[in-house]
Amino acid sequence: MTARGTASRYLGSVLRNGLGRYVCQLQRLSLAFSPGGQTSRGARGYIEEKVLDFAKQNPGVVVYVTPQKCRSPTVVAEYLNGAVREEIIADKTVAEITQLVQKLANQSGLEIIRIRKPFHTDNPSIQGQWNPFTNKPSTLPGQSLRRLEQQPNKV
Amino acid sequence: MATGLLRGLLLRAPRRLLAAAGGAGRGALGLQQQQRRGKKFWLRAYLEQQRLRAPATRRSEKPNWDYHAEIQAFSHRLHETFSLDLLKTAFVNSCYIKSEETRRQELGLDKEAVALNLQDNHKLSEQGVSLSRSYLTHCFEDAYPKMPSEGIRALVDFLTSQELVSYVARNLSIQDLTLCAEFPVPPSVLQKTFFAVIGALFESSGHQKTGIFIRDFLIPQLIGKDLFEIWDVINPMGLLVEELAKRNISAPEPRLTRQSGASTVLPLYFVGLYCDKKLIAEGPGETVLAAEEEATRVALRKLYGYTENRQPWDYSKPREGWRAEKAISSS
Repeated sequence: MTARGTASRYLGSVLRNGLGRYVCQLQRLSLAFSPGGQTSRGARGYIEEKVLDFAKQNPGVVVYVTPQKCRSPTVVAEYLNGAVREEIIADKTVAEITQLVQKLANQSGLEIIRIRKPFHTDNPSIQGQWNPFTNKPSTLPGQSLRRLEQQPNKV
Repeated sequence: MATGLLRGLLLRAPRRLLAAAGGAGRGALGLQQQQRRGKKFWLRAYLEQQRLRAPATRRSEKPNWDYHAEIQAFSHRLHETFSLDLLKTAFVNSCYIKSEETRRQELGLDKEAVALNLQDNHKLSEQGVSLSRSYLTHCFEDAYPKMPSEGIRALVDFLTSQELVSYVARNLSIQDLTLCAEFPVPPSVLQKTFFAVIGALFESSGHQKTGIFIRDFLIPQLIGKDLFEIWDVINPMGLLVEELAKRNISAPEPRLTRQSGASTVLPLYFVGLYCDKKLIAEGPGETVLAAEEEATRVALRKLYGYTENRQPWDYSKPREGWRAEKAISSS
């Protein structure tokens, strides 16, 4: 599919985040892993080694850890604007999971689709909408005529 | 034509392959079909359909919900220090207490057991409203000293309106934490809860922090908004004449400065307003009257210092000299 056919949005942020203060948009992180499964090995390692550090570094994120029998351990990230993202962490190493969780914490929760331009403004034109007098001399026609009339008299 | 040919080729190709492979191929096909039967392709689509059809439930009714932890995280997320009891009170609405008590009565509990020892957020919310209104008024009076009081009131009304405040609250995920009888949480309750949070912040951190909180979350919503989108002025010319009379300037004289295509479907007029033969504002319009009104609005924006090219709001320094206690006692 061409770029025009895919969903797209403008560059934006939730509530103009960062203008006043920065609010971490990730509000909840649920880790579900299997206590004995082979695919959850990396997830168990992450929970043993890294998850406490993450929770300490991000006190604004509530981290839930659920041991349950499952084939594919998952990370479910919930954002302040109501978006929910589920990532499967089966067969991933601790380093990969750490990187993924950090990425989830840095995201804003807005849809991950093509962004039309890497910049955005609500006022695309400073000059304003075109009208028939755009880029025309600003003096009034009457004045310029008078000036023309006056010139021959002086000479 | 070409696509038709291609489709025909694609359809024919497997048959030819099968014919070449003979009996072995047929056996392989049978195996494949069996595997396909074992894999329930419909199940995933069905579950997704069921998930979409299910009515929305509160976040607190879904798995993984620890109210205390969520409240704590809420205060850390906003980089504020709340006293947790006050913050919990701020999220309790009176409708929740009522509905919970009736629910307990229906379950047949004693009168003593029925009563929930909870305080609702009415008091905190009222405090929050008066605080934010007085702080915003003070801010705008500082930032736009030439703006009349009606204009400032319009700006403050806009920023404390139900629509805007509930939008802000929803994007701070306050609707998940709010204890409310109805679901989804109605905007009026969200607005009340947001102001109750502001009230709780004032009780626990003082007026300076509360002011910065209000500034950080409400004032950015003014970006990209025009003054007359917010402030509905019915007779701008009357207002302009009044304002000019206050400043001892003669009444404005509207003159048609430019026009184009007057007999077409897209006419354009430019009207300039002159005071003492000086151009104070010029505005375009499709009719002469519309152009005159636009020119008046341009003149008013210039007079009040709220033009489109004004300086952006300064979020770096906290506004000092604002006494919340005084503001509360006066309002």
